[in-house]
Amino acid sequence: MRERLEDSMSARTDLAPGEIVLDHASRAFSVRADRGGTLKELLLGKRAGGPAPIQALADVTLHIPAGQTVGIVGRNGAGKSSTLKVLAGIVPLDSGSVAYGGQLVSLLELGAGFGRDFSGRENILLGGALHGLDKAQIEAKLEDIIAFSELGDFIEVPVKTYSSGMYVRLGFAIAAHLDADVLLIDEVLAVGDEAFQRKCEARIAAQVDAGATLVLVSHDAALVERTCERVVVLDGGHVVFDGSAREGMEYYHLQMGTPTADHPQGTIA
Amino acid sequence: MAELKRYRYLFEQMVRRELRQKYQGSALGVAWYIVNPLVLMAAYYLMFGVIFKVAKHADYPLFLMVGLVVWVFFSQSLLSSAPSLLDQGALIRKAPFPRETIPAAVVTVQAVTFLVVLGLVAVVTLAIRGSISPAILLLPVLLVALYGFALGLGLIVSVLHAHFRDVAPILSAALLPWFFLSPIFFAPGDITDKAAARFAMEWVNPIAPFIEAIRRVLYDGHAPSLAALVYVLAAAALALLAGRALFTRLQGELAVIV
Repeated sequence: MRERLEDSMSARTDLAPGEIVLDHASRAFSVRADRGGTLKELLLGKRAGGPAPIQALADVTLHIPAGQTVGIVGRNGAGKSSTLKVLAGIVPLDSGSVAYGGQLVSLLELGAGFGRDFSGRENILLGGALHGLDKAQIEAKLEDIIAFSELGDFIEVPVKTYSSGMYVRLGFAIAAHLDADVLLIDEVLAVGDEAFQRKCEARIAAQVDAGATLVLVSHDAALVERTCERVVVLDGGHVVFDGSAREGMEYYHLQMGTPTADHPQGTIA
Repeated sequence: MAELKRYRYLFEQMVRRELRQKYQGSALGVAWYIVNPLVLMAAYYLMFGVIFKVAKHADYPLFLMVGLVVWVFFSQSLLSSAPSLLDQGALIRKAPFPRETIPAAVVTVQAVTFLVVLGLVAVVTLAIRGSISPAILLLPVLLVALYGFALGLGLIVSVLHAHFRDVAPILSAALLPWFFLSPIFFAPGDITDKAAARFAMEWVNPIAPFIEAIRRVLYDGHAPSLAALVYVLAAAALALLAGRALFTRLQGELAVIV
């Protein structure tokens, strides 16, 4: 186990598979253009000037029990994607802790890391490996993934010849077959045509029925209401609302100034 | 460690992918990796063996070639590790997996190429020099140590370069004088009789014992000294320990900085 994971996060055995605990989690990002340093800066002392860091997560505490479906909403820059990256273990915390039980699968970008010169089939092997599967585990799922992607004969040709729709379909097909206890999804469900979108939603619903926890980041209010029982509204890295999906989306619409049927014109009480 | 074991298949996939991308679309493929040392060998042979006639070694092209292929593996491993994490930024930002996999795959790709080229050089050298001896059994030990040494340094330069973008240019500048100071086209004894200078050339330069030990086995047909054996194994262990420690310490922010 990597040390980075040990200090801020881990798949803990004392949590039920699918359970997530974020405890007083904080994380700031530098917004300078040159994020990597140079030796000159190191030698001449820390960088001076530039804008102050952005607090993407500010003392966020969330407990998500196993099997719950949670939508995270908020305006652009509210800290939604950062929350998912922290949960996925991609970005470490400045303070606080994050932990989950069981197997976590993150769909932050479909088809990330595809080798463009490789066939769809070869990229399935790579995609599965990227999520920690071994050869036998991936090969057992290979035919299901190919069938789900509906790519037909295209599965044997390099993905650089794919349309963008085909590309994300393959990416989703891989991620949807990884047997997750925790599923993190960031705005990636609008893939392919409408029929395929419905298929993706059905596949996720089936995983939720099987007991998976779902954390979904989306600006698609209808999707969040359809998919999630609980909604967390973030603003400036803070949790400003945490409750049922219906009330959460009302709060969100008020915050955004987008009227709904229930609240034609309203303000936050 | 359990984490690394779980991702063993990812490592395998990355090595395959790199190997394919490297040799795809080039007519000569892996042959290019022997062309470079062959050209260097020809140049040094011309200069030191023919023009200046200072070379003191029989079958001088073979003497050169063994050292050159070891050096090419070592320098290419470092040069390709340095930008490797930045090159794979898209993966690092989007998926959680042990980041060591990336430089390890890059060094392993170099090692695969190196083994093919060294295999050819070894067959020719052993045949022409008749230098086959029981010492050849030590060759795998030396090669494993060399791989470990390159891997440890590869981890260091990759994670340092991700943080400080000056590392790759410094490295490529340093490798040129390092090449000339390494016992590739000479043996330290050819250059100096002074004990101190000889000691520095043989032991202070960490790649020198690797080159000399491998050349001793293949070109001379003798076992390397016990000191050389201990040195290469210790250098490999030290590089791996330091590489792992530094990588672990500096990898946390990789998704943010690459």
